[in-house]
Amino acid sequence: MTSKTDDRTATPMEGIDDRYQSLLRRVHVDRTTGRMLLLTVLTFGLFAALNPRVFLNPLNLQNIAVAAPEIGVLAIAMMLAMLTGGIDLSLVAIANLSAITISMTYTAVAKDDPGLAESLMPLLALEGVLVGVAAGAVNGLLVSRVGITPILATLGTMQVFNGIAVAWTGGSTLYGLPQSLADLGMSTVGGVPVLFLVFLLVAVATGLFVARTPAGLRAQLQGANPVAAKFSGIESSSVLMRTYTVAGALGGLAGVLFIARNPTASADYGASYVLLVIVIAVLGGTNPAGGFATVAGVVLATLTLQVLASGFTAMRLSAYEYAIAQGVILIVVMVTDQVRWRRRRGPRRSAPSDAAVPPNSHQTLNSGRQS
Amino acid sequence: MVQPEQADARQPVLAVRDITKTYGGVRALSDVSLELMPGEVHCLAGENGCGKSTLIKIISGAERPDRGEIVIDGVAHPAMDPAGAIRSGIQVIYQDFSLFPNLTVAENITLTSAVADGKRLYSAAALRPAADRIVAELGLDLDLDADVERLTVADRQLTAICRALVHEARVIIMDEPTTALTHSEVARLFALVERLRDRGVALVFVSHKLDEVLEVSQRVTILRSGRHVVTAAAGELSPAAIAHHMTGREINEERVVSALPIDAPTVLDVRELNLAGAFEDVTFSLRRGEILGVTGLLGSGRTEIAEALFGITRPDSGTVHVDGAPLTGHRIEDAVRAGIGYVPEDRLTQGLFLEKSIADNIIAGSLDRHRSRSRLLDRARVRSTIQSLFERLKVKAPNTRAVVRSLSGGNAQRVVIAKWLATQPKVLMLNGPTVGVDVGSKAEILEILRNEAERGMGVIVISDDAPELVSCCHRVLIVRRGRIVHELAGDDVTVSRIQDRMAA
Amino acid sequence: MSTATTTRNAEAASDLLRRLRGPNNEGILALILIGLVVVTSIANPTFFSVPTMFAVLRNSIVPLIFALGVLIVIISGGIDVSFPAIAVFAAYSTVRAAGDIVDPGLVGAFAFALALGALLGLLNGVVIARFRLPTLIVTLGSQGIFVGVLLTYVGSRYVAELPGSLAALSKTNLLEVSSDGRNAFLHVMIVPAVLMCLFVSWLLRRTMFGRGVYAIGGDVEAARRAGFPVVRIQLFIYVLVGMMAATAGVIYMIMGRSASPRDMAGSELDIIAAVVLGGASIFGGRGSVLGTVLGVLVIQVIGSSLILAGVPSAWQRAAVGGLLLVGVGVQAVAARRSARHRRVVRTEEAVA
Repeated sequence: MTSKTDDRTATPMEGIDDRYQSLLRRVHVDRTTGRMLLLTVLTFGLFAALNPRVFLNPLNLQNIAVAAPEIGVLAIAMMLAMLTGGIDLSLVAIANLSAITISMTYTAVAKDDPGLAESLMPLLALEGVLVGVAAGAVNGLLVSRVGITPILATLGTMQVFNGIAVAWTGGSTLYGLPQSLADLGMSTVGGVPVLFLVFLLVAVATGLFVARTPAGLRAQLQGANPVAAKFSGIESSSVLMRTYTVAGALGGLAGVLFIARNPTASADYGASYVLLVIVIAVLGGTNPAGGFATVAGVVLATLTLQVLASGFTAMRLSAYEYAIAQGVILIVVMVTDQVRWRRRRGPRRSAPSDAAVPPNSHQTLNSGRQS
Repeated sequence: MVQPEQADARQPVLAVRDITKTYGGVRALSDVSLELMPGEVHCLAGENGCGKSTLIKIISGAERPDRGEIVIDGVAHPAMDPAGAIRSGIQVIYQDFSLFPNLTVAENITLTSAVADGKRLYSAAALRPAADRIVAELGLDLDLDADVERLTVADRQLTAICRALVHEARVIIMDEPTTALTHSEVARLFALVERLRDRGVALVFVSHKLDEVLEVSQRVTILRSGRHVVTAAAGELSPAAIAHHMTGREINEERVVSALPIDAPTVLDVRELNLAGAFEDVTFSLRRGEILGVTGLLGSGRTEIAEALFGITRPDSGTVHVDGAPLTGHRIEDAVRAGIGYVPEDRLTQGLFLEKSIADNIIAGSLDRHRSRSRLLDRARVRSTIQSLFERLKVKAPNTRAVVRSLSGGNAQRVVIAKWLATQPKVLMLNGPTVGVDVGSKAEILEILRNEAERGMGVIVISDDAPELVSCCHRVLIVRRGRIVHELAGDDVTVSRIQDRMAA
Repeated sequence: MSTATTTRNAEAASDLLRRLRGPNNEGILALILIGLVVVTSIANPTFFSVPTMFAVLRNSIVPLIFALGVLIVIISGGIDVSFPAIAVFAAYSTVRAAGDIVDPGLVGAFAFALALGALLGLLNGVVIARFRLPTLIVTLGSQGIFVGVLLTYVGSRYVAELPGSLAALSKTNLLEVSSDGRNAFLHVMIVPAVLMCLFVSWLLRRTMFGRGVYAIGGDVEAARRAGFPVVRIQLFIYVLVGMMAATAGVIYMIMGRSASPRDMAGSELDIIAAVVLGGASIFGGRGSVLGTVLGVLVIQVIGSSLILAGVPSAWQRAAVGGLLLVGVGVQAVAARRSARHRRVVRTEEAVA
């Protein structure tokens, strides 16, 4: 499409150079994703080789595909918050609140009319998502209108949402839910669990949103430089409001996945997910400082960590050893990213206002082309 | 390499010899040498990316050179470290001042020397007299107990200067020392410089306002592409020669102004705009195809007027019409929708998404214009917009996917301008369009403005660079104390008139 | 002329107000604390009694020591969520070592715990300072590693009986007061907590290290240029936090008379909330020991007054979260206002 404009105006040499650069650039964009893909395959191969009998068992693979979606959807939500330069610590609390609301509503209705409660399944799922939207909107308001730093705002709402959930359930586990929802959690289409399909659908939709819509690009730009975004006519409050509401909606959806899979709801489910979801988002190439993220990377990172978890189980390693592995992976990935990033950018960067123009800009350009 | 020291007045207080510094395989500095004599003011000039900043960083100990040495009082060092440099009497006043916003003025002034002295304990009371003394000595009116983040930019700069002087400095390097100062403050700074010279302090000025700096400099050193080009007495170099050395080309700053058609319609009409404490009774109009200069000293209100028109601040009263239609709403989004674009002075933080590609930067302001019916971005249209502006403004980069951080000042500025052209604005305001842009690119940016104005846009150039205004503006408004006090047009637009009226 | 004097008077008045309020709103927080105590005491007179006060103080000991460490990190512009993990790692390992191998005595036990805390803190510090990574994410990762290593390699069983040297302190009280026929005890561990408050306060205000912490929090690049040994200061910050966490961990186990590797998990956010409530800026550069002490006390007082008011303990979490939101929300709104105000002042000065 664009090569036409390229060729018409550029000299042949420039055209070739441009295309070469574009190829390089495309390879580079996919480098995070590529590295992630390699890591996924390697992890899979490792455990497949170490303990093929248990690990390659179809049931185990099925388990991976059923367990991954709830974490993956939360990781995508976290990615969105990070994309705008924020973070959402309240996502797991939102998901639990969503699952609890579904269960509570179902139980309340089922007390009088079990048939009606059962038939309300789609509405109940929607209710879970709407709880997420409402909770996300609260986050959005606190971040965009009140102006609280995302980490503190969502730290506070996490406590509030979790507190509501604990008080509401009295700390107990709830078992009430429509049978059809639990069935959905176990059903497959062509061997692929429905939950996994939901995850892929969310991933594709978010991918489109981030890369192909004006709102998604605004979120990227807001994360890359909020001041420049403001000076470009981008209304930060609406970008943040939208992002945290969407993240909340995804949190609510994760709650639906929680209850469909388990099938129970409780206030303290997935306590370790907050860390795990951040690990996945960062591992998947999301820049915690904002501005950069790829959905494909996050999906692959989700799968890798799920494979790792299940591999650890297959190897009879404990959940604690899995926690160690998560922490080590997170830190190693960040350290290697940082080392590579610094090597590419050359000199130690000082504050942007240091000079009217980044010093040695020519050198960085050149070194970028050489590497 | 330690040389026997002699009580020789001609012994340089600081010398760097054959400094080479490579970043990622690329030379930032190649065999650069520089000598500073006691009591001299030395101007270090060069385009952006010529290696000035790297050289300063090496002298101040922020970076280690690959090769070469730094000689202080005849003692050669392979490299400095920040505390060591300060101990040796080298002080750098950075362009961003490098102050601590959360600490008081007194603490900012005294902390650095306490660090250099290797103190372990800290006592605000014990350090206070030094701060009092320096402020009194310079005759400044600084509230020593105020937090720096509450200060005006000029006061911050004065704080940074005090900090450099409180320690027995022998070499003071000032990176763009006058940007934030008004003329009277600059005069005071230069008077101070004379006093420092008498004390035998050597000063290095890094500046792009050459005419100003040449007033006080004895010698000039020019770097180009990491290499030393020339060191000469200031009197021996004309501004044109300096520009030539800096760019390696001849630069033309002639006045080139198109003839406006008599019936060119008014595109922007501002009536009685007021903002308490910023400007009063601002009334002017701009015609299609016209380039209007707005100038005044720093703090005169020139920037505030532009910011109010762009919706960054909200004026108290007054009306603005764009193309005959009243501007409603006072947010940036409203101004953009009405067809006003604004290229801010602080390009790096306000204008650009440094880590993003050129393409993303160009499209940042016009995303909604490129939406298709499916509510997704129309990628074909996005690409053609980006590509055509990239070519029209002749941005020098491998392609539109290059990261903006890798661009030089002039090219980065083109990207900001392209961002606004993509919104097809009716009025484009540029604040300091060539600040931090090297001499070579400067003329090309002005040429871009002329071309875009001729395509039917109204352009407002806010600048204190008189030659630049003369070079491209049809008319020039002079703002003093928040009011438009003069309007120059046609042949009245000359450098001397602008400067007279600005300062009067 | 008269307008000048009035403005000067107004300025003097606002100056006085500002001084009363303290640099980080400590004055306001003190008022809130007093208000809380008064209101709760009116609603429930049993609250205003020596036993309750001692209980609040006792409950504040461990959070306070944690909070002091977090305060230093936050002033330097970072966030540490790994300190409970370090605390439990150091304390539980010490208890196990003392129980299974040899009881090193009180001093030996603390020394061992401090060494472990310093080592773990150093690991955090090396990654953060050397590679300049976001502190929240690094410490999230290291927290997982610390707890994982503890449970996998040190042990996971509950220790019901502390080694003798530590157990001896469990029931030692500094003060015994009897009022209204009830006996009130002030635990001896309040002493190290108070000493640490004084130490950190001195460290932050009267040493170059302390100034360095504020300088780094204000502007890292400026600190580097001013010659502060930034990497060394950061390393020391995290080592110090590790040691303080270890101390808090041992004290927690002494006061709880038992040791479990799952202790203290999840307390990090409450502590951060207390420090932020105490006026420390999450962006770094601001914060004081006084504010932190007040922040911890406010949260404890709210906790015990909710219990007295018969509110289910489940709601306390939500209450702390709500309080945090109100606290930082007010700060955020005030910061916006003053930014706008400053803008006007700036332009006025410029025009005048």
